[in-house]
Amino acid sequence: MPLDLHRIDDRLIHGQVVVGWGQPLELRVIVLVDDEVAGSEWEQDLYRMGVPPDMTVVFCTVADAVAQHATFVADARHAMLLTGDIDTMARLCAELPAIRRVNLGGIHHKPGRHQRLRYVFLADDEEQALRALAGRGVEITAQDLPSARPVPLAELLAGATSA
Amino acid sequence: MSSLSHPQPHVTPASLVGVAAPPLPLATRLRIVIRLFAIQASWNYEVLMGSGIGFCVEPALRLLPGGQGGEAYRAALARQSQYFNAHPYLAAIAVGALARAELEGQPPARIERFRTALCGPLGSVGDRLVWVGLLPTASWFALVLFGLGVGAPGCVLAFLLLFNVAHVALRLWGLERGWRAGLGVAQSLAHPLLREGPTRLARLGTFLSGVAVPLVIARLVGDSLAASAIAVAVALGGAGVLVYLHGRVEGWRIALVVAVAALAFLLVRHA
Repeated sequence: MPLDLHRIDDRLIHGQVVVGWGQPLELRVIVLVDDEVAGSEWEQDLYRMGVPPDMTVVFCTVADAVAQHATFVADARHAMLLTGDIDTMARLCAELPAIRRVNLGGIHHKPGRHQRLRYVFLADDEEQALRALAGRGVEITAQDLPSARPVPLAELLAGATSA
Repeated sequence: MSSLSHPQPHVTPASLVGVAAPPLPLATRLRIVIRLFAIQASWNYEVLMGSGIGFCVEPALRLLPGGQGGEAYRAALARQSQYFNAHPYLAAIAVGALARAELEGQPPARIERFRTALCGPLGSVGDRLVWVGLLPTASWFALVLFGLGVGAPGCVLAFLLLFNVAHVALRLWGLERGWRAGLGVAQSLAHPLLREGPTRLARLGTFLSGVAVPLVIARLVGDSLAASAIAVAVALGGAGVLVYLHGRVEGWRIALVVAVAALAFLLVRHA
């Protein structure tokens, strides 16, 4: 499937996405789903600066992404769909049963969040949202880079916490 | 990331740079420049370079209404010390732009989104410009000098001078560009230095490597046929091993083994 990865990463477009996943998956398109960025030209300008010339960034609201998801899947170019938070991905999954797997790529420290992995910090309501998503049959794993071991959600949430 | 339940109106870059910022006093500028050299000193897995950004922006925040320790100062310092990641040298652009955004009194939610959006481009452009461009090019330049007969201390000095002058200049330039552009800094990132620089430096580095390798080998092993044949055989064998190890062993382990082997060779040779 050309839409190879559905990833949650609060840094959105950065080196791990562009190089870490971009090169092995031969990504040519990044579908960035964020209601605010989709309406903010200066943010789009900045995110476009972070990708090489042969990579295209498509900025979508959740509604746009739902409407165009089948088009992205049918596209011959390899693509990654990226959201900045769990809520956006959960809204997409609710509308798109075709999303069977979700990758937690980076959710960083903020007041109220507990550390689960070096690159995953979760608040209680975010953990519940992930459990609900898994309950609907979506396979959730944390994996920052392709060379790292994918950590299943159950293992992630069972791990030791540190504030 | 701020909540999606508070969508912001569409904002064009022109409206982001039109606000007059107060002039940045020379003393403040100097404090920031000195602090830029310690931007990674408190690097950690929780906020990465975030506290470093807060440390570097802090002298400018003293100019906020209420001064050092005031309410605006404390809120801005807390905001600027949150998670941030970028290339340490190009982070100077972020420091300048964020200081300007804070002193212009931009809304906190907008500043936070701006910080998030800056990490990606400053990281990827910086990696390509410095780690893939400047560092190898400066190293190959020093090796060319060695191949041409310059003594070892001279080569090391040339490398240190070239690399350090370049990165100090990059930091000073970045701080100035960021401060001038504020939230409209995307246009600065389209500057030829950042757009064309990585590719041109990488090309220059590749060219210098082609010049340096034969010169260095000639100086090390002499120009007898037997010595040259041994050097070529070692190079071919090494290339074969590298191709085999690619993807099997991490690069830094290979580099460590090669460095130790080179040291051992030198010790044996001079014993």
